[in-house]
Amino acid sequence: MATTEDLIDSLAGRLTPVRRLRPPTIRALGWIALATLVIVLLALLRGLRVDLREQLREPAYWVQVGGAWLTGATATLAAFEISLPDRSRLWAALPLPAAALWLYGFAFGCLAHWIAIPAGAPIVEDSVRCLETIVMATVPLALALWLMLRRARPLRPGGTAWVAALAVAGFADVAHLLLHVVQASLLVLLVNLIPMTVIVLAGAFGGRHGLGPAVGRGLGPTV
Amino acid sequence: MPAEDPGAAPSTAATRDDWSLLMARGQDGDERAYRSLLLGISPYVRALARQAGLSPTDCEDAVQDVLMTIHAIRHTYDPTRPFGPWLAGVARNRLADRLRRRARLWARETELTVEHETFVTVETNSIEAADEARRLRAAVAQLPQGQREAVELLKLKELSLKEASALTGQSEAALKVAVHRAVKRLRTMLSGDA
Repeated sequence: MATTEDLIDSLAGRLTPVRRLRPPTIRALGWIALATLVIVLLALLRGLRVDLREQLREPAYWVQVGGAWLTGATATLAAFEISLPDRSRLWAALPLPAAALWLYGFAFGCLAHWIAIPAGAPIVEDSVRCLETIVMATVPLALALWLMLRRARPLRPGGTAWVAALAVAGFADVAHLLLHVVQASLLVLLVNLIPMTVIVLAGAFGGRHGLGPAVGRGLGPTV
Repeated sequence: MPAEDPGAAPSTAATRDDWSLLMARGQDGDERAYRSLLLGISPYVRALARQAGLSPTDCEDAVQDVLMTIHAIRHTYDPTRPFGPWLAGVARNRLADRLRRRARLWARETELTVEHETFVTVETNSIEAADEARRLRAAVAQLPQGQREAVELLKLKELSLKEASALTGQSEAALKVAVHRAVKRLRTMLSGDA
């Protein structure tokens, strides 16, 4: 095996200039702007929910949308921060209060004012449309975030993937809440909580692949 | 250098400024600055590895792993921030990964026994040969002290009569007789076993 001095000579010998990463706040803002753009495009493509005006007068709706957006935004910042080696792991806790608010919004809106599924309602058709929107928001956002985070080659891929998945779930739910009318409380819970849980779990377990660790995939930075 | 206090990030202002500057130059492609940086941080990383409980060989592997990681993610360092925490973060994460990998390996490993050993020739790899060796060792252990000692020194350790005599204080003739009797006795014991 080569000595450490040999290795240092070899690393210095093949040194090339690198482009430094931008600060995590700037990168997070870039992705949040992209997420907003995706939501706007989806709204143009599929139309906003017909009862948006009435919903905006409901505090529960504000709590749901605000909670989802705040969760997405804080989780995005946390993901970019903890992808760097010199940042505290405590960043992972940043989205937790917003996530609690998001969940409270559903509990407040659905459980406190329970609306049963009306007889003859097109449950399957509505659910499929909801899931389509969620998938259309999730796929580009998750892909963009994965590519952006991958540039940092996080040394804590597991923790980074968890919060990144939470960020995607938050913004996907904002898109869903702005675009779809789901009156029945049970359906609101099912079409929001289940897909979001799936996104977080899939992102956490699948997203860590290819994120890190830094060595073992070639020594050059992904510039 | 901060080797004497490896738990914390390197903290002297001079070190921080120097390493930060060298890294910034390294990011711009300055080979000499980069080599100085890697040589300068190696003792600190080595001290961290030692503190983590790695063996000397593992320590050097760990140092090289950390250096390669630093090289691979050097674009993530922000020169406006101190270099020490960045370096400590890289080292700690890579050492933790190594310790986790080692713990997983140990949990799955089984200690090798004679049966697992392989040799160049076919006949030495047979389980029967290993069994016979075990039987022979057991039989030697049952010999009277004088005979056992003579067999071990002259047959197993392959010492000369003169060396064995000097070691045990017995005459060469006495050792010869002891070996002769021991071999005879072993033959009887082993043929009886078979």
